Amino acid sequence: MTSTHLLGPQRFLTTAGAVVRGLGVDGPVATITAGWEERESDDAELDSVMNGRSRNLRLFGRMMDVLERDADVAAAALALRDAVDDLAHLYSLRLQHALDAVYAVRRRQGRADVLAAADADALEAVRRLDRWYLDQVRTLYGEAYASGATESSPLWAENRAEVTEQLASASVLAVAGGHVGMLLRTMQFFSVRPPAELPVVAWSAGAMAMTRMVVLFNDFAQTGAVAQVWDRGLARVERVIALPHARRRIHLDDRVRMEVFVRRFEGYACLLLDDGARVAVGPDGALPPGARVLRADGTLGVVEAAA
Amino acid sequence: MTAPATTAPTSGFMRRLAVNRLRDRLATSDAGAVDRFLQRHSAPISEGRFTTFLWRGDADKVMVRHRVVGLPDPLPLRRLPDTDLWYVTIELPEGSRVEYQFEVVRGDVREEYLNDPLNPRLAHGPFGAQSVAAASGYVVPSWTLPDPETRPGSLDSISLRSKALRREQWFRLYRPARFRLLRRYPLLIVHDGDDYLNYAAAKTVLDNLIHRGEVAPLVAAFVPPGNRLVEYANYAPHARFIARELVPFLTEELPLIDLPDGRCLMGSSFGGVASLSTAVRYPSVFGSLLLESGSFVFTDIGAEHGGGPVFDPVVKFVNAYRARPKVVADRIFQTCGVYEPLITPNRSMVSTFRDTGMDVRYVEARDGHNWENWRDRLRDALTWIFPGEQKFVYE
Repeated sequence: MTSTHLLGPQRFLTTAGAVVRGLGVDGPVATITAGWEERESDDAELDSVMNGRSRNLRLFGRMMDVLERDADVAAAALALRDAVDDLAHLYSLRLQHALDAVYAVRRRQGRADVLAAADADALEAVRRLDRWYLDQVRTLYGEAYASGATESSPLWAENRAEVTEQLASASVLAVAGGHVGMLLRTMQFFSVRPPAELPVVAWSAGAMAMTRMVVLFNDFAQTGAVAQVWDRGLARVERVIALPHARRRIHLDDRVRMEVFVRRFEGYACLLLDDGARVAVGPDGALPPGARVLRADGTLGVVEAAA
Repeated sequence: MTAPATTAPTSGFMRRLAVNRLRDRLATSDAGAVDRFLQRHSAPISEGRFTTFLWRGDADKVMVRHRVVGLPDPLPLRRLPDTDLWYVTIELPEGSRVEYQFEVVRGDVREEYLNDPLNPRLAHGPFGAQSVAAASGYVVPSWTLPDPETRPGSLDSISLRSKALRREQWFRLYRPARFRLLRRYPLLIVHDGDDYLNYAAAKTVLDNLIHRGEVAPLVAAFVPPGNRLVEYANYAPHARFIARELVPFLTEELPLIDLPDGRCLMGSSFGGVASLSTAVRYPSVFGSLLLESGSFVFTDIGAEHGGGPVFDPVVKFVNAYRARPKVVADRIFQTCGVYEPLITPNRSMVSTFRDTGMDVRYVEARDGHNWENWRDRLRDALTWIFPGEQKFVYE
């Protein structure tokens, strides 16, 4: 049975250890700290939280090692990254204009049904753009995999086998936060697929990586405060947009902005993961009662218990 | 000139200006009142929207020299009766930062370029130091100061033989902390490179903004000029050196984003002209320009521009560009101090640039034509041109 636990940031309120203990399983805890990049192996504190049971998969270190020692894999990986970066820039450029159009329409006054139609279509244009971007990313990944550079590398294969073995022998997988782009990149590089029956505890960027669609956001960023789709995650959790540090990173009191956000990602639950948040996602992907989400009107709410 | 008989807000209520209170006290106080006053107040005294400059000593005339457009320059001080304390109070809007010096006349002797002996705050530049008056609301940005938690990048001196300039051209190469050959970095080329490093804390700024994730890790080439007034005034060999020698050299040697989008050319004052004129000559090389207080002097008719002979080639270039504006980059970040004479031509150039279709972000500051103004604008500029990865990090 799939068991996935999405947590809020662990810096000030550590709950990951308690959640892992609460699972009641023995054995090693595989950890992924690739989001910490160069600090990946500075995981003594995490190991302590896991009662000394942690086994770091070292995805970042392994990827760097492969890229430094295998020129063909490095060339393919760099080409893929450059292409994704170019694509993301174009998407970002178009997205800004598309969202500007949404807000411009909302500022207008006039016949209600005409305005509503224009609003709906402007939002659909944003959704279409998000879908276009994700499709293009998938195409680029497809081209990269088709080149076969990684699969034909003994060094890559050796590392991947070790990662797969460690995952197979683990009783829990813990995925830490950090740089969500690097986290996804390393997991994709080694095609990390945690077995469905392996419980996963993930926080912050780690929680984002467990969802199907990873959305970047920071309303308080110096520039580029527009939320943007970045990539597909592992899809352990379907139909959820994970929003760690929501209070610190989102203008939650800006109703218009929040409503546009929720409607843009219609069909997904916008899940707020602030300090102390613990969300056990059920096998059917449903969020448990009490999970904090954005309502359709842009206000904060919680998932209600089923009647 | 007397201080305005007015009040300044302090601690939630309105008080009379400190110098006016002193004047009242002097009628009944002892000779030590001025000493105690100066011990209590740092100079110049900033009170709400008013700033009072102070000078103490024997003199026949004392004046503040400041080059702030809109204020009288020189700005005469008045002696407080029966003391050797001179003062003048001006309105200095919130957030303002002004560099100034004193001019003192004693008999036939005129002393110029005197920094304020009562004010320890100095700004440094290639022509020496100047005193700084900071109005309320202005604080030195924390990201311009060394931060022990910041991982520093490296700075190396590199030499390149330039056919265009017919000389060995030195420059300083900045590589960010945790520089990796497996990454691709944006490139920033900086005119007046040594001055940006020495007087605008450019390395500290880059280190801090990159460490905080506000600016993407980048490589920067800090290039000093040869004969600055010639080479930065629309000079073909300089443009050729930047676009056809330096950029290819760096792209060959370093893991750079080899696209215009990943390259920015920047400069201040004449360095702004050098940046724009290089981009005009080589419009497909740089995706972004960062122009700080560009010396974009122009005439709408005739040739009288008031800048002297060194500005002749600049005016010719800017006039030609304004006659036929064209896209020279995707984006321009332009900034200027509202207290400098170049504010008018800079404001005019904003629409000239925008009308071509270029994406222009224009920022004004209550500051003058100086390096600390250009330093303080770097965060707005660089976070826009090469935004960092804040959006990716969820600890």
